[in-house]
Amino acid sequence: MSQDRDGSDASAGADASAPDAFEEGVLGLMPALRRYSRSLARSDSDGEDLLQDCIEKVLARRQQWRGVNLRAWAFTIMTNLYRNRHRHRALHPEVEYEEALGLVAEDQNADPLQSRRLERALDRLSAENRSVLMLVVIEGYRYQDVAEMMAIPIGTVMSRLSRARRQLAEIMKDGNVIALRRPK
Amino acid sequence: MTHEFNTVSEDELHAYVDGYLSPPERARIEAWLDMHPARAQEVREWQAQAAALKQHFAPYARGEEGDRALVSARRHQGNAVASSHASVLRRIAAGLLIFVAGGLAGFYIPGMVAPDRPLETAASPDSLPRQAQSAFLVYASEVRHPVEVGADQQAHLATWLGKRLDYGLKIPDLSAVGFSLVGGRLIPVNGTAGAMLMYEDGSGQRLTVLLGRNRDNRETSFRIASQGGLETFYWIDGEIGYAVTGEVPRDVLRKVAGECYRQFEGSEAS
Repeated sequence: MSQDRDGSDASAGADASAPDAFEEGVLGLMPALRRYSRSLARSDSDGEDLLQDCIEKVLARRQQWRGVNLRAWAFTIMTNLYRNRHRHRALHPEVEYEEALGLVAEDQNADPLQSRRLERALDRLSAENRSVLMLVVIEGYRYQDVAEMMAIPIGTVMSRLSRARRQLAEIMKDGNVIALRRPK
Repeated sequence: MTHEFNTVSEDELHAYVDGYLSPPERARIEAWLDMHPARAQEVREWQAQAAALKQHFAPYARGEEGDRALVSARRHQGNAVASSHASVLRRIAAGLLIFVAGGLAGFYIPGMVAPDRPLETAASPDSLPRQAQSAFLVYASEVRHPVEVGADQQAHLATWLGKRLDYGLKIPDLSAVGFSLVGGRLIPVNGTAGAMLMYEDGSGQRLTVLLGRNRDNRETSFRIASQGGLETFYWIDGEIGYAVTGEVPRDVLRKVAGECYRQFEGSEAS
C-alpha cells in the first residue's frame, strides 16, 4: 500500500464526516424498523435493544448487502436476531399457551388495559409465528416476500400465519368472551 | 374437516383478510362466507386483530433524535474487509463445489424426491443428529457467547479442538456458500470430547458443524434428519462422525455439507 500520504490525509476514499447513501438509507428505515422491533418485543426497552442490535449488525455487514432492497435485508437481519434470541422460547409454545389460558379477563373498554392484554397475548406466540404475523399484517410484506426473507417455503409462511391468527384469537377470546362471540 | 374447504381454501381466507384478492375474488369469498357463518366469524376476528395490531404499533413508526448518531456510530470503526483475495478463493471453491456436489448427488437423490418429508427421524435420543440438534438449539440462540473461541483465533481453535478430538482438525472455509466462521467450542459427543463449529451468513442465519468420535467405527452415506424446522445433514467417516445443522433450506445445507465433506476429507489426508 502507498505510504506517501501523511496521517491526516490517509482516510481518503470516503468522507468520514458526511453520512453516505447507505447510512441515509438506514436512517430512512429507522421508523419502520423501530415499529417492527417493538412488535416483536415484550416491552419498549426490549424493542429498543433489539433495534440497536439490528442497526449495529446492518452497519457491520454493509459489505454483504447485495445492493437491492435494503429494507427487506434489514428486516431479515432483525428477524434472525429475534429468532436467535428467542429460539429456546419457540421450543415450548404449548407451555406458554397453557399459561395464556389462565389470563384474567380485563375491562376491554379501557384502552390501556386492552393494549396490555393484546401485548400479553402476543407474548404467548412463538417467535416464528409472531414474526410472520407482524411482517404480513403490520409491515405489509407479501407472503412470498416473507418466505424469501425467512428462507422458508411459502406453505410454512401460511401455516405460521394461520397458527398465529388462531392462537391470538383464542387467547384474546378467553379474556373477552362477550365482545368477540356475537350472538347469532 | 368438511367439503367447505374444497371451495375456499384457508390460504384464500388469509389473502382476503390481507387484501390480496381482486374484486371478483373478494366477491366470491364473501358469497361463500355468507353461507358459512362460523368461518365468517373467524375472518372477522382476524380482521379485528389486524386492525388492532396496526393501531397498536403505528405510534412506534417514528424517528428519534438518537437515530442519526446510532447509524453513524460505526463509521470510524471501518467496514468489513472484502478482499479480492477472498473473492478469488471463493470463485475457485465454488467451481470445486459444483464438481463435488455432483459427485455426492448419488447419496441423497432418493431423498430429494419428497423434500418436505423428513427422510429419517433418528430414533435414538442420543444419536449423532439429535446431539447436533440439541447443540444447535442451545448455542445458536446465544447472542453474547455462542462460542468459546472466536473466529479471530482460528488457528488456536483448530489446534485446541483437534488435540481434544485427537484428530487433525481443519476448520472448513464456508465462504463459498456464504457462511463465515463465528467460532467453536468443546462439547461432549457420544460421551467423549467433541467439537462444535458455528457459522453465520450475512443475515445472521446460523448453522453448526458438530464433530464427534465414533465408537462403532463404521461408515454411513449422507443422511438427513429433520426435527421441526431444523435440518441436520450427517455422515460418519471412519472414526469421526460429522453433523451439519441449521434452520436453513435443505439445498443450502446440502451445499454446506458437501463443502465440509470435501474440506474434512482434505484434512484427514494431510
